[in-house]
Amino acid sequence: MKVLDLLRLSTSNLFKRKMRTILTVLGVTIGVASIVVMISLGLGLSRSLTEEMSSYGSLTSVTVEDSSNTYYYYEDNQSSNTDEEKHLDDDAIAELSALPNVEQVVPMLRMDVMLKCGGYEGNYITLYGVPDGYLESQGVELAKGTFPVGGNGQMQVLFGNQVLNQIYNPKTNSGYWYDGTMVDLDLMNDTIFFILDQDAYWNFQYGGDMQEGGEAPKMPKKHIFEASGIIAGGPDDYNSYSNNIYCNIDDLKALLKKEFKNRAIPNQPTTATGKPYKEIFYNMLYVYTDSMDHVQELQTTINGMGYSARSDAEWIQQQQTTMGYIQLVLGGIGAVSLLVAAIGITNTMMMSIYERTKEIGIMKVLGCDMRNIQGMFLVEAGCIGFIGGVVGLIISCILSAVINMLASTMGGEMGLSSNISYIPPWLALVSLVFAVFVGMVAGFFPSLRAMKLSPLAAIRNE
Amino acid sequence: MGAGEKAVIQVKGLYKVYKVGDTKVRALNGVDFDIHRGEFCAIVGASGSGKSTLLNMLAGLEKPTKGNIVIAGEHMETKSENELVAFRRKHIGFIFQSFNLLPTMNAVENVALPLTFQGMDKSKREKLAEDAIKLVGLKKYRKHKPTQMSGGQQQRVGVARALVVNPEIIFADEPTGNLDSRTSEDVMNLMKKVVREQNQTLIMVTHDNHLAEYADRIFHIKDGKIIKIVDKRESAERGNAESEERE
Repeated sequence: MKVLDLLRLSTSNLFKRKMRTILTVLGVTIGVASIVVMISLGLGLSRSLTEEMSSYGSLTSVTVEDSSNTYYYYEDNQSSNTDEEKHLDDDAIAELSALPNVEQVVPMLRMDVMLKCGGYEGNYITLYGVPDGYLESQGVELAKGTFPVGGNGQMQVLFGNQVLNQIYNPKTNSGYWYDGTMVDLDLMNDTIFFILDQDAYWNFQYGGDMQEGGEAPKMPKKHIFEASGIIAGGPDDYNSYSNNIYCNIDDLKALLKKEFKNRAIPNQPTTATGKPYKEIFYNMLYVYTDSMDHVQELQTTINGMGYSARSDAEWIQQQQTTMGYIQLVLGGIGAVSLLVAAIGITNTMMMSIYERTKEIGIMKVLGCDMRNIQGMFLVEAGCIGFIGGVVGLIISCILSAVINMLASTMGGEMGLSSNISYIPPWLALVSLVFAVFVGMVAGFFPSLRAMKLSPLAAIRNE
Repeated sequence: MGAGEKAVIQVKGLYKVYKVGDTKVRALNGVDFDIHRGEFCAIVGASGSGKSTLLNMLAGLEKPTKGNIVIAGEHMETKSENELVAFRRKHIGFIFQSFNLLPTMNAVENVALPLTFQGMDKSKREKLAEDAIKLVGLKKYRKHKPTQMSGGQQQRVGVARALVVNPEIIFADEPTGNLDSRTSEDVMNLMKKVVREQNQTLIMVTHDNHLAEYADRIFHIKDGKIIKIVDKRESAERGNAESEERE
């Protein structure tokens, strides 16, 4: 028997009993729709969670810090030669760039600075030196101005949108963190003094102790930098860049060398005797990998090399596992209704066989192959699954759109940025295949029964 | 049609025993006969005589308890169910008492059904079906559904369906049981005519002695045994010979 004829025969049988077919299809429709909607909710949640996580920092990077910066000790180094500390210089960048799955290694130089402007001041605000183009590549958006560019003599700085929060008036103790008022300061146009050597400043300000050198403390040099721009966002919009000031790394390096000459630079490692090194080391290296899956592995590798690396991988993995459980539970709820639908299909097919006992018998007497008879019933059950799957999918898409619409109007202030229900193409395809599969499984037992029916039923006269 | 020609059907020592509770019922109790190509045979007996059981076994719908059935050189008793289905598809046509046309299909589609099972192309099988329908004189009704036809017309479709595969043997189980006597006669004449024209072998089961008169040979069956075989051709020949002698 030709496949086309088999299909024609099966579908004509479905048409013969329209009401029953529609009801059975309805069951599958509900089953498929509930599974798809449930999974789409799970996927949407995990997607918005991932988006939220990436706003805290890159999900594909490992942060390598200078070991003198870390507060804990790595004793599990096999070599345990702590005197041979690994510092982050250009050699380290080359070494880490050579690791597998590494796309990019970005150095960072950190300096805590003090800002002074009129009666306002801000202490220990972090100034980062980064390579040109790094901030752009991270998708940082600017409220005004441009990104800082190095190498033009005058150092340019980019302010984070929350830098202003850290500036206050020491006389009246008013400021964002004190009484919630913002200081009246225009970062772009007002003249702001940067003080790099804060220790010297405090010594100068409060007399300091003179035991060290016996010299009277000097007022450290105040710098004026050119403000190139401000990062987009209000005082309450946190992201991993919002509290910092950024400048070109080479400019900062040159500045530090000039400023501190032979003295120890804050945030820089020192030799065992407390003397500064000749060169300036990077405080941090961001090692970017090609995929989230490699982060954990890369972190272990880098730690094994004697650096101290950390990443969000563990936390992210934990989050993902939790999301996986949520999706499983949601999918399970949907699966129950599809199971009910499958039982419905089986029931329908059984009834159909009882009704068509005679017809099946005639076909057998006329020489219809037993496999064709089984195939006919399987195709019928599969068709019910397929139609139910298609209709269920359409309904899921509508439901998903409705849910997203409701969520965006009602839950906008809850911080749900993206759609909470999300149906990717693979989910649509898988659910359709699954519906057909469930239909065929449900129809298998009845089809076996039809195949084994005796042809004698046909010639028995009622 | 000489006696030397190999028989299409050979039955030897056929037994069928049903168990009803503790008692054994012998539906067939040792049946032997040969049927040749082109013969029209009638199996006649009262209800419960075992005639339907015999037909079912010849058509491979039931398995014998003991004995051999050889049809077209193949042993039926050793075949699996699927082989029997395949055998019927190729070699056997079937005419039912209650017509057994599929209600959703029109006349042509019903006739073409056995060809569909053979996997024949739609255009080819519909042409063959149209030819068969013309042969039984239902050209006007070829697009009608079974419910739109009379009993006699339905059975003509049934006959066409049995003929369309050009089988070695056609089995007919009480083919006129659901028809009135006038249409019965029509259908019997039709069957006899097409069987003659196509040189088909037809085996008909009936309880009606009058209908059996249409056949070449009549097997009388009672209590699972063939008690008498009447060869109408021989008697006709004898009759002719007698009349010749008389002249």
